[in-house]
Formats: sequence, structure tokens, C-alpha cells
Amino acid sequence: MPVLAEIVETKELVQTVVFAFVAGVGVTVIFSVGIWGVARFIDLNQEERSVAAGAAAVIGVLALLAVAASVVIGVVVMTGK
Amino acid sequence: MTSDVILVIVVGAALAFDFTNGFHDTANVVATSISTGAARPQVAIAAASVLNFAGAFISISVAATVANDVVNAAAITPTIVFAGLIGAIAWNLVTWYFGLPSSSSHALIGGVVGSAVAADGFHVVIAEGLLGKVLIPAIIAPLLAFVAAGISIGIAYRVVGKQRPGIVSRGFKYGQVLSGGMLALAHGTNDAQKTMGIITLALIANGSLGAGADPPFWVIASSAAAIAAGTYSGGWRIIKTTGTRIIKMDAAQGFTSQGAGAAVILASTHFGFPLSTTHVINGGVMGAGAAKRLSAVRWGVAGNIVVAWVLTLPAAAIIGAVTYAVTSIFGSGAVGPVLVTVAALAAILAAFVRRAQRGAPVTVQSG
Repeated sequence: MPVLAEIVETKELVQTVVFAFVAGVGVTVIFSVGIWGVARFIDLNQEERSVAAGAAAVIGVLALLAVAASVVIGVVVMTGK
Repeated sequence: MTSDVILVIVVGAALAFDFTNGFHDTANVVATSISTGAARPQVAIAAASVLNFAGAFISISVAATVANDVVNAAAITPTIVFAGLIGAIAWNLVTWYFGLPSSSSHALIGGVVGSAVAADGFHVVIAEGLLGKVLIPAIIAPLLAFVAAGISIGIAYRVVGKQRPGIVSRGFKYGQVLSGGMLALAHGTNDAQKTMGIITLALIANGSLGAGADPPFWVIASSAAAIAAGTYSGGWRIIKTTGTRIIKMDAAQGFTSQGAGAAVILASTHFGFPLSTTHVINGGVMGAGAAKRLSAVRWGVAGNIVVAWVLTLPAAAIIGAVTYAVTSIFGSGAVGPVLVTVAALAAILAAFVRRAQRGAPVTVQSG
């Protein structure tokens, strides 16, 4: 009778948990930063604070690009197996 | 010749199961997008259908697990696979009839295990595979989606909390196009593969493929088409249960629940775990709701769903075992599967007629 640790593919299960957690939480947080950047850009632009607005826009765009990149990487990794 | 007739029936039943899976299961994928207003129902369902089709082509790890790691393929016959499929389809239709989002995946695995046990006894079950690749991930995955969605929404609210709600809501609704798309893709890749695995198992049992073979392209393509067609056909009762009865969601919650669900399903698929996508999606929905306010989750409805989850494996297994017993009364030829198929079609027709007599299905618009 094999023990539980031998039955369960612990390494793969742990990797699944880590990848899913990092991707699930990470993408949401980065996307939220993207929304924050866009929202701040709109508000700061209306206040005519162009430098701060530009900085917020850069942060927002970079965050949204990071989200897009992570999605592409995720699909590429999936198709690679 | 006889075994080929049975094989054709099995492939037909498997694709019918795949269709019901799409009809029954994939509705959960679009529920959050629809309930938050991120997408119109018709658009969300059409997009989910296309992405389910595409998703079916991106991996075969789960198909390999279903074909080789749950029951001993050497002891399986096409009739056993057929009986298991009938068990899964029957349970799917029962839960559809009552509007409960139970797990199609567990119904399929339960049905095949039940019919295999009825045919050959418990030794045919690969306990390590069933426990290590199905049951334990089945417990961990929805909890993981629950926790990931809960933590995500907590951080997201902190990040965007001081911004104007209109912009934030619009941003997350745009985000739901992406997260909903990823969830549909993830659903297609995990769930369509179960049908691929079952058809592959039947082909191996029939001697048409060697042990350990990968699914042929026609199996992948037909499974993808069946789940996509089922998705497009809808499943409004279940959309309503998942999208509005568990919690009332805002767009941020919709995005986080879909994102967490997609991440869990894709990661699990990569490692060949045949998850219940329904469990994972509902775990994410409940996590996003509970993190905001525990009372936001309608725990009574959530409890009913949990009960359906717990019942699914044994119920489908019992139906699969009974189906095998009935089929084997008529010997090992094609007569049993043909008669059971006719009876199953009659039962399905009766269920649809009865449902129609009780009024139109509940829809998001009408509900």
C-alpha cells in the first residue's frame, strides 16, 4: 500500500499551486496598477499636471503591456508541452 | 464488426457528452462577464465557443491522464467506456434539469470508474492515478482559486480604491474581455481533453490504437467542435446560478475570479490534472465575493452546489455501473449499447419535453 506522498505527484502539484497563485494574483495586481495609471493620467491631465500625468500614463501602459506579455507567455508555455 | 459498431456508438456518445459538457459547464465561463455587464450574453457565448474550440488544440496532457492513469486500459472494453459515458451524460442532464453547476469532469471519471468496477472489479482502478491526479487536485484547485481570487480582489481594491469608480469599473470590464477569454480558452483545453482521453481509451480498448497512444487529430478536432457547439447552445439556467445567485459581483470581482480561475485551470492542465472547471470557477467567484464581504456570498446556494459536487462522482459511478449491468444482459455484442442508447435518447427527449411544459428556461434577461 503506497503512502500518500508516493501517490501524489507532489512536485507537480506544488508547481501547479505556485504557478497558478503567482499568475492569478500577479496578473490581477498588475492590471489594477494599469487601471490606476490610466485613471491617474485622466485626472492629472484635467488638472493640467502634464509631467505627473505622463508618468502615470507610462506606469499604466507598462502595466497593461506586462499583462499582455504574461498572457502570451502563458499560452506559449501551454502549447510547448 | 461488432466491436466497430460499439466503437462508433462510443465515439458518438463521447461527442454527445462533450456537447453536454459545453452546454452545461461552459455557461459558467461566461456567467461573470454577463452578470457584471462586461459583455452581452450572445457575444460572450459566441466568443467562449470560439475560444473553447481553440483551447482544445493547445495541449494533450489531460487526455493522456484520462486515457492511461485512471483505469487500467488493458482491462477496458468499448462497452465499459460506453456505460461510463451514459453515467456521465445522465448525471449532467439531471443536474442541468435542476440548474446545479456540478462537475462534468467528475461525472465522466466517476461514470467510467463505476462501469469498469462493475465489469472487472476494483482492481481495474488505478488508485494512485485516481487519487493523485483527480481527487486531490479536485480538492486543492477550487480552494486555490478561492484564495487567489480573494487575495487578488483585496489588493486590487487597495490599488484602485481612491480612483473614480466609473473609470475603474470600465477598466475592469475591458479586463474581463481578456480574463473571460482566457477562462474560455482554459476551459476548452482542460475539458475537451477529457473527451479526447475517453475516445482514445475506447480506441485503445478496441485495438485501433496502441497502449499509451496520443489522441489522433480527428479526435482532437471533433472534440473541439463538439464542446464549441455545446457552448454556443447556451445553458441559461446555470448562468443564472453562477452569475447572480452566488454573489452579486462588480467588474473587479468578475475580473479577479475569472483571472484566478483561468490561472488555476491552465497551470493544472499543463501538468495533466483533469480538473473540474466548474469547481474552480465557482471557487474563484466565492473567493472574490467573500474577500469583499462574507455575507455577500449566498452560502445556501453555494452549499447546494457543494452538495452536487460531492454527489457527482458516486452518482455517476452508480449510473455507469447500472448501465454496464443492463448492457451486459444482452451479451457482449452491439445489441446492449444500441438499446441503451435508444432508451437514453428517449429519456433525454422526455426531460426536454417536461422542461418545456414547465415553462421556458430561466434566462439572464428574464431572471
